Amino acid sequence: MPLLMVKDLHKSFKGHPSVNGISFGIEAGRCVALLGPNGAGKTTTLRMLAGLLPQTAGTITFGGGSPGTDYRQYLGYLPQAPAFYNWMSGHEYILFAARMSGMNAREAAAASGAVLERVGLGSAARRRIGGYSGGMKQRLGLGQALVHRPRLLLLDEPVSALDPIGRREVMELLRDIREETTVIFSTHVLHDAEEICDDVVLMNKGTIAVQGTLSSLRAEYSLPVIRLTTGKEDSAIRWLEALRHKDFIEEALISDGKAVFNVTDVELARRTLLQEAVELDIPLLQFEAGSSTLEDLFMKVVGT
Amino acid sequence: MRRLWALYLKEMLESVRSYKLIWIPVVFIVLGIMQPLVSFYMADILAFSSNVPAGLMENMERPAASSVMAQALGQYGTIGMLILVLGTMNSLAGERSSGTSELLMAKPVSSISVVAAKWTANFTVLVIAIGLGAAGAAYYTVQLMGALSWRDVIAASGLYALWLLCAVSLTLLFSAWLRGPAAAGLSLLLAAVMSLVHGLLPVKLNWMPASLPGMSAGVLADGGTGVSLAPIVSAVLLIIICIAGASLMAGRNKLPV
Repeated sequence: MPLLMVKDLHKSFKGHPSVNGISFGIEAGRCVALLGPNGAGKTTTLRMLAGLLPQTAGTITFGGGSPGTDYRQYLGYLPQAPAFYNWMSGHEYILFAARMSGMNAREAAAASGAVLERVGLGSAARRRIGGYSGGMKQRLGLGQALVHRPRLLLLDEPVSALDPIGRREVMELLRDIREETTVIFSTHVLHDAEEICDDVVLMNKGTIAVQGTLSSLRAEYSLPVIRLTTGKEDSAIRWLEALRHKDFIEEALISDGKAVFNVTDVELARRTLLQEAVELDIPLLQFEAGSSTLEDLFMKVVGT
Repeated sequence: MRRLWALYLKEMLESVRSYKLIWIPVVFIVLGIMQPLVSFYMADILAFSSNVPAGLMENMERPAASSVMAQALGQYGTIGMLILVLGTMNSLAGERSSGTSELLMAKPVSSISVVAAKWTANFTVLVIAIGLGAAGAAYYTVQLMGALSWRDVIAASGLYALWLLCAVSLTLLFSAWLRGPAAAGLSLLLAAVMSLVHGLLPVKLNWMPASLPGMSAGVLADGGTGVSLAPIVSAVLLIIICIAGASLMAGRNKLPV
């Protein structure tokens, strides 16, 4: 029995569909990346999962209960741009979040101290949130989502707005958190998804384009690929265009002297291309043979 | 209950940190003590301005203590109400537009406890403001004008506070789905319309909350012979409807638009 079951979820705003019939299940203990370009419906989906937006149609079932029960007490949620009470200190805010999650004063005091240390805000806990940096606010946001030990953590673009150092800090925290709870996080940065998640749900235009475990997607969608860059001479451009019709090339993307070929046989393709390049005296600048990445899959799904 | 209390403490902490709990009572105290002071020194003030007609000064009488106290409370019906409404207008609208409600409502909190905590916090500010303001006004009135019945002062202030609470509750209701300034404007307009309608048909509409200020002045003038229960009941009903409506709307509007 999965922890979270989503069935045929729809959301439209004034007749305009934002999420258009998505279904997925999430097993306890997994870390799931909700991928997709801007406007794919990731934030809307997460807000529906967090109970902040009523769905137009479809059901959400949590922990085997009946659909529609309020499961917010088992949930930790961090929105894309978390806004805090700037007149509170970090410690006061975490304490408040713990109390709102249903803890009594003593439990809340113990839990908030521990969680502040964990997210690395122990020394800044007494300062007003108004003076926090973006990275500190994001870590405070993680802290308020974690303080009541949720069974499911929903994170909307947790690292997208951070600088490389802040991003590193939050990613390390996530790596740690995913060991003890189920995590769904949305992102448009593929590298982040590849780094820590087990499963991927790739959304585009309100529907799920592809979903599965990261390893199965890699196995299924990784194609032999050859990338090459030539000089911008006419002969080179003409040569690249002519390559489209070779038998071993399944798909070609050519623009401005750069080409990406999906091929059936890397060995054959490499030999043929290099040979031709030498014979025709093509000014090759770059040549790379390998397999496609999640980014290629993303571009393929989103681009079409 | 546990959450309601924590939410109330948070609201009060905000009132303290934003100095709302200080400046609103200060304005009420200043408004309250101005009235007896101005009434007492009016003769001297007029005498200092040179061009007063000769006969005027002889006919001037010092007003009675009870009417000065009623005028002092009357100040709260205009400037006092404006300040209270401005102090309330962002309590729900501000959380929504800044996005803090998104984090709050993702917690297992009911919108009724959020609204009830905000209402109670605004009620606390109002009680402190009008309590201190009326006490200041009564003190100076007694010192300068003559004796007042403390019982009548408390009853009159209470009735006036109930009318102000109606305006505050309306603001809370409107701020559950409108922007702060719009909520303030609409509730002030509604309060003004209620007063106006009541002023046009005072006999037929004396059950309206808008008759509370008049009743409050009546208590001071004649010791409460003209007090009827109907406006108090209708005011309490209005407040309950406002809180219920605000909870309903706040439950629907959680996200910044």
